[in-house]
Amino acid sequence: MLNYWHIAFLVTMPLAALSLCLNAEELKAWEKPFPENGEDLLAIQERLRKILPEAKKAVVAIESDGGAGSGVIVSEDGMVLTAAHVIGKSGKRVKVRLPDGKRVNAITLGGSEISDAGMAEITDEGDWPIAPMAARSSSKIGDWCFALGHPGGFDKERGIIVRLGRIIAKEDETIQTDSRLLGGDSGGPLFDFNGRVIGIHSRISKKDDQNFHAPIEAFHANWKSFRDEKLLTQSSLKDGGFLGVGCEETEEGLKVIEVVENSAAKKARFREGDIIVKVNGDVIDTREELTIAIATTGPGKSVIIDYLRGEKKMTAKVKLGKRPNFEEGEK
Amino acid sequence: MNSRVFLSKLVLGLSTVLFVNTIHAEDLSASQRLNGANTRKAFAKTKQAAFASTVRLIRNGKLITHGTIVTKEGLLLTKASACVGAREAVFADGKKYPVRIRRRDEKTDLALLQIMAKDQSFEPVQWSSDKLPAEGGWMVSADPKLKGLKVGVNSGTPRSIKREGGVIGVILGRDGNATGGVAIAEVVPRAAGATAGLKKGDVVTKINGQSVKRREQVIKLVGSHDPGDVVRIEVIRDDRSFSYQVTLGHRSVTFEMFNRNLQMSGPVSRRKDNFPMIIQHDLPLPPEAMGGPVLDINGKAVGLNMARVDRVTTYALTAKIVQATFKTLNR
Repeated sequence: MLNYWHIAFLVTMPLAALSLCLNAEELKAWEKPFPENGEDLLAIQERLRKILPEAKKAVVAIESDGGAGSGVIVSEDGMVLTAAHVIGKSGKRVKVRLPDGKRVNAITLGGSEISDAGMAEITDEGDWPIAPMAARSSSKIGDWCFALGHPGGFDKERGIIVRLGRIIAKEDETIQTDSRLLGGDSGGPLFDFNGRVIGIHSRISKKDDQNFHAPIEAFHANWKSFRDEKLLTQSSLKDGGFLGVGCEETEEGLKVIEVVENSAAKKARFREGDIIVKVNGDVIDTREELTIAIATTGPGKSVIIDYLRGEKKMTAKVKLGKRPNFEEGEK
Repeated sequence: MNSRVFLSKLVLGLSTVLFVNTIHAEDLSASQRLNGANTRKAFAKTKQAAFASTVRLIRNGKLITHGTIVTKEGLLLTKASACVGAREAVFADGKKYPVRIRRRDEKTDLALLQIMAKDQSFEPVQWSSDKLPAEGGWMVSADPKLKGLKVGVNSGTPRSIKREGGVIGVILGRDGNATGGVAIAEVVPRAAGATAGLKKGDVVTKINGQSVKRREQVIKLVGSHDPGDVVRIEVIRDDRSFSYQVTLGHRSVTFEMFNRNLQMSGPVSRRKDNFPMIIQHDLPLPPEAMGGPVLDINGKAVGLNMARVDRVTTYALTAKIVQATFKTLNR
């Protein structure tokens, strides 16, 4: 009997310790549906103050003849995340301004105006301060976050401006928060409460508490094409190649939900339910990746598409068409 | 027994997490957002302090600015350039008192007013003893109607804001005018110069009796006066001389139509320059909510709101400056 209790005790103690630990972690103030009292507010304030100084170090201003935006350095070799509408075009020489005001040379790379994700690279030699990128799917609606940037342009005396908020909506190609933004913030980073970059400021809405950010997922998905200076703009989309499928990002992969009549996809016999896997050997997971791969290939040129129909692996060589003029309101 | 309790806690903990995930399938509810009802509820302590020490100053039945109660005898501080003609102070509980202006201070744009009342037991604001509020720390003010709170964070480096001289509201032509003065290339509609009668094509020859030949001279002379000052401007139009009295405008307000960031910001304060020491925050407050205190989460005032600058920026004079100015004004 005594032995039994002894063993039980030995078994329950670690369990007890484990569950206490888990409970303590689950109930952080910024993980609750909303702060409940002054203590929660204080915890949120302390957390923000703890991660803010480190986060600010990698925030930059991007200056070109056209104007100024913001950005964030994410790799030691000087890769800068910003907004597609800040870089404008690939291969353009711009200045990147570090928090201390020092200007370094950089060149714009690729991006996409669908999500508004864009990239630049510092070309000078140096050790750059970096901010960690959050992994895919690590942010969700309700998460506390903070926006950093240079609203209205770089101002050394004023410094980098912080605004607190929460994620109010999240879709494949955009994050919406109630962090307040202004012109000049574009391209600046949105951080989570673990000090990781979860988005890049893109557009502001008329209401000051509903602003848009390109999700970090867009950078993960398109890293290679952005680095290779592929830039998808509204006009390159219009003049680029056209496949003619409507897709949805699902657990199984990128699923065809619509095939446009008389399109290249229709001629190549694509069907609803097909899962697109690769284009020209590159793995495709998102709608934006597919659009970039197709639109940066000209009409009349061919692509090789690997796809799944049920369990069956299929490959098609598709000669791309021209993008039809859709009526206003259609995509 | 013990193990059962802890095990059930463990399960509960996990199920809470699952539940949170499911409610995150939609947009974040308005009440959970940064300025949502649930979030604001956590600020109960600050709310009481903000409501006791903030008043609405009324002229002709309309709110013109907020004020901050600084003594129990009913002395209050407010924004001097916004409080002209204030007749009445209205508290959150609806009590109304007539007010009289005592003194004003140009340097800080603060004015000292006296509430005319027999019962002299008002609840003065409690100033924070911290030299400056923590960067990223919560900041809280009463909303314009004194019905609720607006919350945000201390968002930029405390600093002084340089003086911005007055402007006529015209765009000057190039130097080297045949008539010896400086031509007006464009007149900003409804701005100071247009209101006074200046027209496109006029050639400015004298300002307050002093001859001008170059545009730099005009800019310097006009800029040496403050917005609201009257300057005499002599022009030549169709070979005839005209003289106009121009009440100078504010640079940022006058050239608003050319500034996209200001267009997106809604109404902003007229005077938003020339402050000895400010803290900056991102509270969504309109210009008529300036003059009231901005508090920390303990209900202590860290500053007095002085200028709505743009969509992401409000300046507040620091508690230290406000207290020092009060001493001078109350001498």
